[in-house]
Amino acid sequence: MSQKPVAGHVVAVPVYVVDDDESVRDSLAFMLDGYDVNVTTYAGGPSFLDNAAIMQPGCVILDSRMPELRGQDVQAILAQCNSPLSIIFLTGHGDVSMAVDALKSGAVDFFQKPVDGEKLLQAIATAAEKSVARSVQLSALLSYQSLTEREHDILLLLVQGKRNQQIADTLCIAVRTVEVHRSSLMKKFNAKTIAELVLQYGFAVN
Amino acid sequence: MANVLIKVIIATMLLVVSQVHANNALDTKTVIKPIMTTVDVGVLATRGVFEAKQRWQPTLLWLQSQIPNSEFRLHPFTLAEMETAVQQQSVDVVVTNPGQAVRLGRQYPLSWLATLNSKLGDGTHVIGSALIVRADSPYQQLVDVSGDKIAAVASNAFGGYLTMQLAVQNKGINPTAFFADVSFLGFPLDAIIYQLRDGHVDAAVVPVCQLESMLEEGLIQQGVFRVLDDISPGNFACGLSTQLYPNWSIAKTSAISATLGKKITRALFALPAEHPASIAAYSTGWIPPISQLSVDQLYRDLDMHPLQRPWWQEAAVWIKKNQQWAWVVFLFVLLLSVYHLILEYRFSRSERKLTATLNRLKEKNAMLEHAQRVAIVGELGSSLAHEINQPLAAILNYSQGGLLRINKGADASAVAPALEKIQQQVKRADGIVQRLRTLINKRAVEKSRCDMQILLSDTLELLEYDFQQKNISVTQSCIGDVVALDADMVGLQQVLLNVLNNAADACLMRDPTIVVNNNISIESYYSDDRLILNITDNGIGLTATNTELQNAFFTTKKQGLGLGLAICRDVIEAHHGQFSLVAADPIGCRVSIHLPLR
Repeated sequence: MSQKPVAGHVVAVPVYVVDDDESVRDSLAFMLDGYDVNVTTYAGGPSFLDNAAIMQPGCVILDSRMPELRGQDVQAILAQCNSPLSIIFLTGHGDVSMAVDALKSGAVDFFQKPVDGEKLLQAIATAAEKSVARSVQLSALLSYQSLTEREHDILLLLVQGKRNQQIADTLCIAVRTVEVHRSSLMKKFNAKTIAELVLQYGFAVN
Repeated sequence: MANVLIKVIIATMLLVVSQVHANNALDTKTVIKPIMTTVDVGVLATRGVFEAKQRWQPTLLWLQSQIPNSEFRLHPFTLAEMETAVQQQSVDVVVTNPGQAVRLGRQYPLSWLATLNSKLGDGTHVIGSALIVRADSPYQQLVDVSGDKIAAVASNAFGGYLTMQLAVQNKGINPTAFFADVSFLGFPLDAIIYQLRDGHVDAAVVPVCQLESMLEEGLIQQGVFRVLDDISPGNFACGLSTQLYPNWSIAKTSAISATLGKKITRALFALPAEHPASIAAYSTGWIPPISQLSVDQLYRDLDMHPLQRPWWQEAAVWIKKNQQWAWVVFLFVLLLSVYHLILEYRFSRSERKLTATLNRLKEKNAMLEHAQRVAIVGELGSSLAHEINQPLAAILNYSQGGLLRINKGADASAVAPALEKIQQQVKRADGIVQRLRTLINKRAVEKSRCDMQILLSDTLELLEYDFQQKNISVTQSCIGDVVALDADMVGLQQVLLNVLNNAADACLMRDPTIVVNNNISIESYYSDDRLILNITDNGIGLTATNTELQNAFFTTKKQGLGLGLAICRDVIEAHHGQFSLVAADPIGCRVSIHLPLR
């Protein structure tokens, strides 16, 4: 088993370990620390949900059997509040149906203890990438949802490649009004160019 | 008045005529050759032939003297002889006691001529029984002798048994119980008295006055005997325990003519009371025959009247008379029988059902037990796996983390904490293993006195259904004195169950080309210091080496855990015994269990 750190697996996002067994938490943190992963541990679902930055991209390693909240419950809560966090299950006694359920519900991977550090790290890296992407997508979606009706109409026309004058004519409004809405749109999507705006729109509607 | 006068005159004339006739006959006899009429007289010889002759010969001589040209011959008979004689009509006249008189009179054509008159009591009723005991015996009442040794004449003797039997019955005592130890000595009656005197019997039933006659004749001593329940009336000189019945009677059979009968009757009536013939017969002459109703009643009460038909004849007559009822009864009985058969059939059917249900239950029970065992082992395994998994996971993580740091060239101080934590996790795992071990050994071994044979039969009972399903027979033998041993009963039963189950499985696993009946034989040998239990099957035999057999978790069965033999060995060794497995001859395997008895 190669224990060398694998290049390209630099994990930039925070990693959370949620497990009721102290030895598992501690040992996982110790090992992942060896891979220069930023690890925070939690003894249970509630303390994780309360204290972790769940609306930021990141990766959570969940034990499935815990006294207060089961891993699956934590997964459900995260999904409910549109958290971009990626989930990796690490359980002492998993079976196929449990794994299938977890993966269907959006988990990135499913491991049984004891787990090889290398494989776990790879899964964490994948999870981090996914989480970042999901985070971007989510913010675009949020921006899209915050649009007013007029902004929405203008965005659709912009995406079609219409100029301000054409938009003003189509919607029977002043060019100046279009410009104001357009600048508001750019601000909401955090875009500097029309290309960026279109990209964000693409994230949002996907 | 005139009528009477005429009758008297006619009677006198008739008498005269007959006298003349008789004289004529006498004349003819002297003239020609006298025709002798022979009359055979049968008498009941109650006290023997000699006494009978003494008693009745004078009467016969009197008759002979009164009836011309006649010869009376005396035939002393016993009861049975008398009956035969009457049946065959070999006697013309019979003199007998009222009991036999009625018996014979109701079965054969007998005409009663006269009844003997006695000087005792009212003269006509003088027959009964006396129950006598020795004067020095403790008996006071009739009931006291019940079931003791009693002598009597015969089961059909009147004064000598039957009257007593009725008296006993009338007192509310069961005659069968009262006469449980009765011996019938027959005639002569004197012998019965002597038997009582000599102590061969405790009591004797004799006709009334028998005792007094013998006293008078000086045959016995005064005061040697007592009569129990003496109820003789004041004018009756003999001891008496029963009611009185008519005196002896004389009858003629159909062998002689009515004329001769008339002559005999007339001669008997003419016998004076003081005549020696009367005295010899203990009588005061003869009187016309008296009613024998009381004797008939006695026979009826004892359910042995000669005219009484046997019960089956009575039943046949009743059925003929009441055919409709007979049919009803018959149909009722038939219906009952059919109903009984139906019930029987239904009962046997439900019994079969019950047995089948019971078998199913047993089967389910066996399955449930097996499922439970599997579940327990499964649960144990899963929980063991989980418990052990946590420290293992932690150890893996620490070691990987440590190696990472070493590869990165980290300081030893960075790795040391991981190693310490690995140690902690190893201790944790060890703790889990220890806990499991104590869990398994939790059952405290309790030794108590137990009998291996009882334990064996209990265990076989548990396996009975299973063996029956698998078609396995069990033979048992035991040599030596069975001794109870101090042992852990639960453990030993576990061993027996394991071994027997194993033997049964082995029988089923045998090569099917070898055709033998599945059999397990159990032999117990008790010696002074040890019990050797050999359990031999004729199954597949041993396929593993001895070393393999020693190992726990070694098994040849698909679903086996390989723990059975190890457990058996443990239990037997805990009893300081030996457990060994050897191949049996020609096929199969023998388990030998040696257990010390002290």
